[in-house]
Amino acid sequence: MAIMMPASDQAVLDRRDAIVAALRAIVPGEGVIDSAAEMIPYESDGLMAYRQPPMVVVLPDTTEQVSRVLKYCGEQGIKVVPRGSGTSLSGGALPLADGVLLGLGKFKRIREIDFDNRVVVTEPGVTNLAISQAVAHAGFYYAPDPSSQIACSIGGNVAENSGGVHCLKYGMTTNNVLGCEIVLMSGEILRIGGKSAENAGYDLMGIITGSEGLLGVITEITVRILQKPETARALMVGFAEVEAAGECVARIIGAGIIPGGMEMMDKPAIHAAEAFVHAGYPLDVEALLIIELDGPGVEVDELIRRVEAIAQGCGSTTCQISTSEAERNLFWAGRKAAFPAVGRISPDYLCMDGTIPRGALPKALARIRDLSAKYDLRVANVFHAGDGNLHPLILYDANQPGEMERAEAFGADILRCCVELGGVLTGEHGVGIEKRDLMPEMFSEIDLNQQQRLKCAFDAQGLLNPGKVFPTLHRCAELGRVHVHGGKLAFPELPRF
Amino acid sequence: MDTLRIRDAQDVEDAVRAAIASEQPLEIVGHGSRRLIGQPMATNAVLELSALNAVTAYEPNELIITVEAGAPLADVQSLIDSKNQQFAFEPMDTSVLLGVSGAGTIGGMIGAGLAGPRRIRAGGARDHLLGAHAVSGFGDSFKTGGRVVKNVTGYDLCKLLAGSWGTLAVMTEVTLKVMPKPESERTLVLRGLDDIAAVRAMTAALGSPYDVSGAAHLPNSAFRAAAGAFSGLGAPGQAVTLLRLEGIAASAADRGHSLGKTLAPFGAVEILQDATSAAVWSSIRDVLPFAADGALGAWPVWRIVCPPAAGGALGQQLARDTGGDVIYDWAGGLIWAALPPRPDAQAALVRQRVEAAGGHAMLVRASELVRRNVDVFHPQSAGVAALSERVRSSFDPKNILNRGRLLRAVAP
Repeated sequence: MAIMMPASDQAVLDRRDAIVAALRAIVPGEGVIDSAAEMIPYESDGLMAYRQPPMVVVLPDTTEQVSRVLKYCGEQGIKVVPRGSGTSLSGGALPLADGVLLGLGKFKRIREIDFDNRVVVTEPGVTNLAISQAVAHAGFYYAPDPSSQIACSIGGNVAENSGGVHCLKYGMTTNNVLGCEIVLMSGEILRIGGKSAENAGYDLMGIITGSEGLLGVITEITVRILQKPETARALMVGFAEVEAAGECVARIIGAGIIPGGMEMMDKPAIHAAEAFVHAGYPLDVEALLIIELDGPGVEVDELIRRVEAIAQGCGSTTCQISTSEAERNLFWAGRKAAFPAVGRISPDYLCMDGTIPRGALPKALARIRDLSAKYDLRVANVFHAGDGNLHPLILYDANQPGEMERAEAFGADILRCCVELGGVLTGEHGVGIEKRDLMPEMFSEIDLNQQQRLKCAFDAQGLLNPGKVFPTLHRCAELGRVHVHGGKLAFPELPRF
Repeated sequence: MDTLRIRDAQDVEDAVRAAIASEQPLEIVGHGSRRLIGQPMATNAVLELSALNAVTAYEPNELIITVEAGAPLADVQSLIDSKNQQFAFEPMDTSVLLGVSGAGTIGGMIGAGLAGPRRIRAGGARDHLLGAHAVSGFGDSFKTGGRVVKNVTGYDLCKLLAGSWGTLAVMTEVTLKVMPKPESERTLVLRGLDDIAAVRAMTAALGSPYDVSGAAHLPNSAFRAAAGAFSGLGAPGQAVTLLRLEGIAASAADRGHSLGKTLAPFGAVEILQDATSAAVWSSIRDVLPFAADGALGAWPVWRIVCPPAAGGALGQQLARDTGGDVIYDWAGGLIWAALPPRPDAQAALVRQRVEAAGGHAMLVRASELVRRNVDVFHPQSAGVAALSERVRSSFDPKNILNRGRLLRAVAP
């Protein structure tokens, strides 16, 4: 394992039997799993290159049980790793050898559907898609749609601030959640926000969203739901040059058009996807854009015309416009299957997730091409082009000695390039363990210390999901110290009035 | 009291460090346009940021702008307007309500986090702040977020800075999302509805697929109080319920037609077009019926945020029980209430009613004396209050920044 996790606490491991017994007293029956064989499914999440059996798995089914488990672990100094459906692509739910894996899979109930206030109150183990399905009969849906929406849980979405194809127009998870019930490491149960548009005081919901399971365990979530747009149509536009496709993206946004989704694939990704799903993708283009417009029919028709004209102005070589739902879904089928499609042409692949300013797309692609040659590994590129979110897929074979390490080094270089181009390390997959050690590429020690101080406000002992997000762990007491610089008037020259 | 006029970001760091060393709390000010909001502070010096006013980078095609925190909001808004863009959350100009001049600075706008009518569709300041440079109460310059829309790298401290009223850190530079301005707008007007029926109509509109970007209700009394400001609505005589649609002209017209049908059970709709519609919404955004220079200018004003469907009953009850006047925005989810002056601004009654409806209330306008005696910001449950204090302390352990603005000092 290339990433170092915090050292195991032997004193905790020595007490394993007593800990299991104590947890059984809180969560009865099958809710505590301690046999090696039964813990195998929990060894890994969506970042499957990393595996670690936990000390024990606990699957509580009430908030009170979560609270008692955390309180017990807090008092005993036992680390806890929360887990939803285990679809994290950054290793956010990777267990610790001396830690309790706290699964929220039994929190499967939608508690309330409130159409008048346009919210759903749900338990965290409900899948993203199940929320949309529960309100579909009234024409509503939950907007963020990560590709894993069939499987990923809404609790995990909040922890990771998940995005999806439509977040260009409809926002990420953070823009679509209003409140939660959260249990702190102390066992304290708090309610943050609710059905109102804003919560009182500091925006704690905003900081909990995307905190990667390091601040608390969420046991209930209130999400906003929206009415489904009347219609959606898509254009599939091919370009002979990647630069032209990038320019087309910039011009569409520049023209004041915010598509529901705007995706780009490069040639290797197009070929892999077409071979897999036969979506009718043009094979002789260097880049393909799928642009979806949604809204009232008249608006969509008008915007389709405008986008088509912009694409022609950028030298598109092919342009197809969907005329039916079946056709629109076919355009998307290849894009949505891009990851498994690439999985067919390579024994293993790494999925990266940086974001860059839209305008830097051609530059980033050129750099990725150079790096591909340097590391002698193939790469297929899939982008959420509308918001500059890149998903380069690095193809490798884990059975070839050294290839995985080479792929990881290639990936790290891509992310460094994203930061260099004015972007960030992760657009939607989270830092987890995967990008943890790259955090200093983007943040100074001071920046990271401020983030860790906030962690201390929630979890002063650092027991919740340690080893994720932050490359260096500090004690809270040390971080909280104020260094007094200089004397009483360090700025005598400053004008005073 | 000393006023320290900052020249650059380094000055901010120096000033905060000196304040820590001398344990002299600082009041953080841009133009000072929102100084009248909050508990009266226990500060010894003013840190004035108006010289930090440069536009660092404006990239219309990237839909972002990076500006220093002291940049005047009005200037930045005209700059982005020149490229046909806007801050989609419609930041409120608090000067109308407070009776001061000027809309203040970008930093003040984010620190206050007061969004206008489009919040129901586009979110608030917290949803549009992508990145920030700031100086914490440790005297450290730090950055958070980035310059791209899609970013989950590290904790999203921007969310905390927005709406923190300068109590966590002194922002020096921020990156904000900008959005294209809609090509046209129109407002559907329903007349004569009582508050509860109006909220029902707004609920129906928001539950439709017609992409409503503003939903407000002016009871007749509020309409009368600010008749001049709503000249586009004709002479007051009846309450008005307003629903805004924005987008390309054909689409707004089409949706207006469909929405009119949805609203048929509530009466016939009239239509306001572009400029007339825009004027009405900016008056609602800035709460003109309760303007400082208007008939209710001396009344304290509460800003109540609640589950929208509960708004009609809550507002009606508050108006009746307090003898006050209310207006509704956010489809009932935001109630502005002006109440007859009392030393306690009727806080206990307001908060009891608001909490029963699942909301919270902030006393936005009141005399200094009243603000000394009343919790300006809604009191939180013990656990959330304790966590919030730990969060505040994680940024500013010595309580150097805007000390006492959020929490009332309890007499010993």
